[in-house]
Amino acid sequence: MTKIDPETRIPDPIELDRLEEARLRAAAGLVPARAIGGEYAGFDQVGIPDRPPQTDREREVYSLEEGEMLVNMGPQHPSTHGVMRLVVKVRGEIVVDVDPVLGYLHRGIEKLCENATYTTVLTYVDPMDYLATMHNEHAPAIAFEKLYGIEPPKRAEYIRALVVELNRIFSHGLMMGFLALDMGGITPILYAFINRDEIVDLLSSISGQRMLFNFFRVGGVNFDTNDEFLSRLGTWRGNVLKNIEMNERMITDNEIFRARTMNMGTLTGRDAIALGVTGPNLRASGVPFDVRKAHPYSIYNELDFDVITHESGDSYARYLQRIAEIKQSIHLIDQIIDKMPHGPVQAQVPGIIRPRPGRAYAAIESPRGLYSVYSISDGGPTPYRFRMRDPSFISLQAIPKLMPGRLVADTMAVMASFDPVMGGVDK
Amino acid sequence: MAHLRRPRPATHALGRRRTLSTPVAAGALVRSLTERLGSDLGNLWTDEDTVEFTVDGARNVEVLTTLRDDPDLEFFMLADAAAVDYGTDAHFEVVYHLFSWKHPAWLRVRARVDRANPRVPTVTGLWEGAMFHEREMFDMMGIIFDGNRDLRRIYMSPDYRSFPQRRDFVLPDDAADSPAAGVNPLERPETWDLTRFNEAPAVTFPPSSERDDAPAEGGEGGEGGETLVDKSRPR
Repeated sequence: MTKIDPETRIPDPIELDRLEEARLRAAAGLVPARAIGGEYAGFDQVGIPDRPPQTDREREVYSLEEGEMLVNMGPQHPSTHGVMRLVVKVRGEIVVDVDPVLGYLHRGIEKLCENATYTTVLTYVDPMDYLATMHNEHAPAIAFEKLYGIEPPKRAEYIRALVVELNRIFSHGLMMGFLALDMGGITPILYAFINRDEIVDLLSSISGQRMLFNFFRVGGVNFDTNDEFLSRLGTWRGNVLKNIEMNERMITDNEIFRARTMNMGTLTGRDAIALGVTGPNLRASGVPFDVRKAHPYSIYNELDFDVITHESGDSYARYLQRIAEIKQSIHLIDQIIDKMPHGPVQAQVPGIIRPRPGRAYAAIESPRGLYSVYSISDGGPTPYRFRMRDPSFISLQAIPKLMPGRLVADTMAVMASFDPVMGGVDK
Repeated sequence: MAHLRRPRPATHALGRRRTLSTPVAAGALVRSLTERLGSDLGNLWTDEDTVEFTVDGARNVEVLTTLRDDPDLEFFMLADAAAVDYGTDAHFEVVYHLFSWKHPAWLRVRARVDRANPRVPTVTGLWEGAMFHEREMFDMMGIIFDGNRDLRRIYMSPDYRSFPQRRDFVLPDDAADSPAAGVNPLERPETWDLTRFNEAPAVTFPPSSERDDAPAEGGEGGEGGETLVDKSRPR
């Protein structure tokens, strides 16, 4: 290739955009001291009936300066990972501000759970974060066991850890595919789904369900391992590293992928903590917070593993973090299979349990971060209050923080690197 | 709900009963809390992995600032913030769960909020990420966070007027209060044949003649033409 003289070369448009970034950050109101500029433009800009803004922030988002306009991204956008609307304020191709509008998938699961018995709550939470169904059931199960004062048998704890780690692997594997898909790479998602289906079939052979497993019970799990599960597990374990690495080879060193993820959406550890970002996204910013280590639950204090972190905190680090955690989960599964004891898998618990009045908090490490349940019992057969903290709901707050000054096309790429699931965001 | 109240034989739990009274080794934490917070600290209580206490809602920012910034405490992470409604004759609570590397326990701060005037200072100044938590609490419980600059509904539409997670919000299909008394279409064989679905009488309560919006005698849609959507149900 001929060398280009830096004096005569045409400046890269993205580079020019970056020069404007500081000015645009100010325009987006991210500098605290700056007064809000622009004229209030109204909600009919995004196709909904106009009304007065309810808050300062809303007025700020819907105020336009010369050359700016508001664009709806979603709610039926194919890459919003569910049903979500982003109101994006743009200046040409550059994002000035982002306002997530949620609630399109809101089912009021917390309220439903207050009207369901403790046993049936475990079925209601399944469709929340539908890529981490096992994790959804794990935290309520722990919370209710604390409330009821019962401990599941050891083998049940090991089976729980096994299925939860399997679930983590396919969730992280899908994130690799979706991230590439949101940048226009179609192939990795197909391979990601092949890998996912293998694990889903595996889990369906132990739980009887393909997606919403409904496998956990208060005081144990529904079924013990069976021959089909174990033989499938052996086959899967033989192929998994090869399959993951094949997918990884397609993505990791891809030049377009690297250009669109490196130094993109960089989140410092301090900002991530302030924003409530947890899980792989927080560890990719260099903070070694993992609930499995910080507050060990289930059998994680009997397993040997380290908290993996990456330093740079950009989309690429979040992607690498997922791959490292997939390999770590495989390592954990090996240990779990080695150590799994014999015995019952379900403590004898009545169908309708009435815990004594009290409060319990249970937090677990879901593929998207800290997933926790706060449950209050008043002595009745249903929880008095059932609160779920979903990690993707909170992590979503990072998007308006990161996107100003970037290109519109990168919005979804950065969002995909946080791996939100709208079923969990909207509860 | 009758099936919930049927007495069941007492079953012995196979798993070991936990000794719930065994508190976590949190002596140092309890000492620091007592020392730093003084009179703000109320009802200190520990269980197996949690230390909790109550504060006055109006003092939550001062207390949480101390918890976050004091070098002996360093609860740097807001794990969760949720609101609890203790009933129409009681109070609200805003419950914060905090995490620190220095102590082996979750810290639960229960801030008491008056139900008649549910206002509490915002903690978005301490943790920016409390924004969505507070918007959700406002949306679902109607608690107003003073100083929050983006306090609008997050799940429900902006023109929605109720607060669905309050205890006095009755679900339309709550079996106990429901006009149809828990009968759903699948339990009504006459509706199984979809060709005759419209001929099936609607389940209404009270009887349509006693309702306020009952159609006049002899008016159209008098018999068999009632809507399946019962407007008399509480919304």
